[in-house]
Amino acid sequence: MVASVLIVEDEPEFLRRFADAVLADPGLRLLGAVSTGAAALALLGAQQPDVMLIDLGLPDVDGVEVIRQAAQRCPQTDVIVITMFGDDGHVLASIEAGATGYLLKDAANDRIAASIHEARAGGSPISPSIARRVLMRFRLAPTAPPAAREVSPLSERETEILRLVAKGLSFETVGELLAISPHTVVAHVKKIYRKLAVHSRGEAVYEAGQMGLI
Amino acid sequence: MPTPTGATIVQGAGGVATRAGRRGNRHAWVLLRRSFGRALRIGLAALAGAAAAAPPQEVSQRLEPTAVEVQQSAVAEPSQLAANGWATGTLPDNWARSHPGMMGPSAWYRIAFELPPRRPGSGSWALYIPYLYDGGRFWLNGQPLASIAQTTPLTHVRWERPHLIAMPDSLLRVGRNEVLLRAVLTDPGAGLRLQRMTIGPSDELLPFYDRRMFWVRTMPQGAVVTCLVVGAFVLFIWWRRRSEVLYGLFGLAAVLWSIRTLTFVIELMPAPWWPWWRAVYHAATGGFIVVLALFAMRFAGIARPWLERGLAAYWLIGPVAMLASGGRLDSKVGFVWTGGMIPVGLALVGFTAWAAWKQRSGAALALMLAVALGAAAGIHDYLIAWDGAFRLPDFFTGWAAHRIFLLHHGANALLLVMVAILTLRFVQALDVAEELNRTLESRVAARERELQARHDEIAQLEREQSAQDERQRIMQDLHDGLGSQLFTSLSRAERGALDADGLVQVLRECIADMRLAFDVAAPEQRELRAVLGDFLFRWETLLRDAGVHLATEVALPDGLRLPPTVTMQLLRIAQEALTNAFKHAAATEVRVAVRQAGGSLLLQVADDGCGLAGPSTRATGRGLGNMASRAQRLGATVEVEPLDRGTRITLRLPLAQPGHAS
Repeated sequence: MVASVLIVEDEPEFLRRFADAVLADPGLRLLGAVSTGAAALALLGAQQPDVMLIDLGLPDVDGVEVIRQAAQRCPQTDVIVITMFGDDGHVLASIEAGATGYLLKDAANDRIAASIHEARAGGSPISPSIARRVLMRFRLAPTAPPAAREVSPLSERETEILRLVAKGLSFETVGELLAISPHTVVAHVKKIYRKLAVHSRGEAVYEAGQMGLI
Repeated sequence: MPTPTGATIVQGAGGVATRAGRRGNRHAWVLLRRSFGRALRIGLAALAGAAAAAPPQEVSQRLEPTAVEVQQSAVAEPSQLAANGWATGTLPDNWARSHPGMMGPSAWYRIAFELPPRRPGSGSWALYIPYLYDGGRFWLNGQPLASIAQTTPLTHVRWERPHLIAMPDSLLRVGRNEVLLRAVLTDPGAGLRLQRMTIGPSDELLPFYDRRMFWVRTMPQGAVVTCLVVGAFVLFIWWRRRSEVLYGLFGLAAVLWSIRTLTFVIELMPAPWWPWWRAVYHAATGGFIVVLALFAMRFAGIARPWLERGLAAYWLIGPVAMLASGGRLDSKVGFVWTGGMIPVGLALVGFTAWAAWKQRSGAALALMLAVALGAAAGIHDYLIAWDGAFRLPDFFTGWAAHRIFLLHHGANALLLVMVAILTLRFVQALDVAEELNRTLESRVAARERELQARHDEIAQLEREQSAQDERQRIMQDLHDGLGSQLFTSLSRAERGALDADGLVQVLRECIADMRLAFDVAAPEQRELRAVLGDFLFRWETLLRDAGVHLATEVALPDGLRLPPTVTMQLLRIAQEALTNAFKHAAATEVRVAVRQAGGSLLLQVADDGCGLAGPSTRATGRGLGNMASRAQRLGATVEVEPLDRGTRITLRLPLAQPGHAS
């Protein structure tokens, strides 16, 4: 099945680059290519893309906010964040807002398409530094005092995988260590993405309730 | 209201008399004196034990004859007495006063009393005599009744205790009865003193006997032991803590008092010891008062060394005079020297009053009151002991005949107050020490926290400094490496010497270099393993997309950190090696192994490509040259070895400095 893709990127050079990569892949269909958050939100009101590629540094709306709204309006849409270096703090914020993967800005065309397919199939690989940030987010580091740990939505197995990834082990090695296939590791990672987004949404609802907004 | 022993009003039989020696005018002041005397008498009667009485519903049958007949005679048996030798006398009697100058071995008293018809079953009768210091013998109606050990040339007796002598029914008769007492007249100074005897049913007399026995004998016995133990204990404390002079003085006072109180406890003593014992007794009594004065002075904060020396010198006079005279000056010392202690006692009251005024504490006030009481008791005792030497008010003469000494009770109370004060001081000292400890502990803790905070601050500054230094170095590195590469490429592109592919390659190298810089310059200095993880994660994706399998094997200890610049060079070398394998060797599999071997870090990149003999030897050579020069800067070595298939590059970085591994 051909996946429809929405690209949100304010730099024309890269908008073109990503659009070319999508157009070149027979398994992908370009639903739209916009350069502002407002345009993206307007489009999301009318259409439900299968995948949204989004750069966070938009001129009008915070990219994370666009991701959050996309996750609410189109829960079926897989959101991939475009990042220059892959380890900045925005990636985690995006994941918490509902993104399920990220893409390096200098990725080759093949890699762009491959990342979109990976996101559709299960989930993007998670880098050690992102895994580390997720662990720190829930204070899951073994050194943290138990009282300080936030209730984590992650299962023990998922936490274990994150710890191994954060240590710098490849998915392959993690699979070997835990006696599971690399695909299962990927499936776990996908679940981790989903849980983080759901958890943060739940928190947002809770906080909104606390503030009397709901 | 039961009748006090000292009162003359007795129900019943003959021999009833009025108060002896009551004479003189009846002026108002005399009346005043008498009423005061009565009040005092009632008060003291309680102490005398007289108030413990027969059941109130029964009329007392006690007889207390005051009119007696007296005869001085050396004979041993009543039959030898001269029938016409009797003279009238009264009880109480003070021989030295009633018969001045009449010395002899013994004095005889004849006491007659009328025995009323007794109710059947009223029990046996007895004779109660509060004291008979030198002993004596009793007859009833001519028959021997009792003998109380007497002073002899070999033994000195001093009976402080009362006596209760049973009177067998067989010797008593209704109507007139006669008691004869032969009392020893030994000590010319102290002389013979005789209190009224009480004759009555044993049941009625026993409480008087018991009460007096308790006060004059049991109590002093207890005081001797208690004072000795407490004194020794407190002296021990002082011995270990010499600066606590008050403890030493109190311990000394208690021990002295214990010795002095022995006079109520020792009843029989070999005669030759007697003068020595009296010397000790005086020394202890005077010493007690002097030590108390020193205690009070210190307590009041009065420092007069000359006064202290004067007191000590005066204290020495009594015992020295006793010893020097072989005991012959006993009564002089007792009267004159002991009398000299009365001003000392009054000064003591003054000292403690001064202390109470100055300190305004309950303890000081209690001490003053106890000392005042003690001084009053001491003066009282002195007057009783030397009642012959003064013209005392009537009531006091009657009271004096009871021979009830109060100083040892007053002294006990005083010692108790002193114990309380010292205990209070002790507890306060403990509290102060505890408080001091707490303050000290909290101060130490606060200082420790301060030091820790300062230490943390310094460490933080150092960290910041070193992080800044590292950033500086990385910037320098980027400036020299990335910067010069960009400028060179720009220049080459401008003169057309760089085609599109070349430009892409240069820019990708620049981006990769920047990524390395971001990897190692993360705000928190990360473990080498995590940095390597991110690095290899990127390469894994890159290689996978190119159809090359990357196998990694990273075995590094937890917490291994390297300085960012070192890490950066290390990653550059790895990047060069991976680029070689990926671009030039046409490999299908690349293996990266990182581990710590001995004191070195080992980085191996092996591929299954075409090896060094391949077509891209020039570029490979440039890469190898770069690696070697970078390794040299790190103090590391690079080894390139051809495999059966492919190449293996091994970097060996010594981790000599423990700082790197921490």
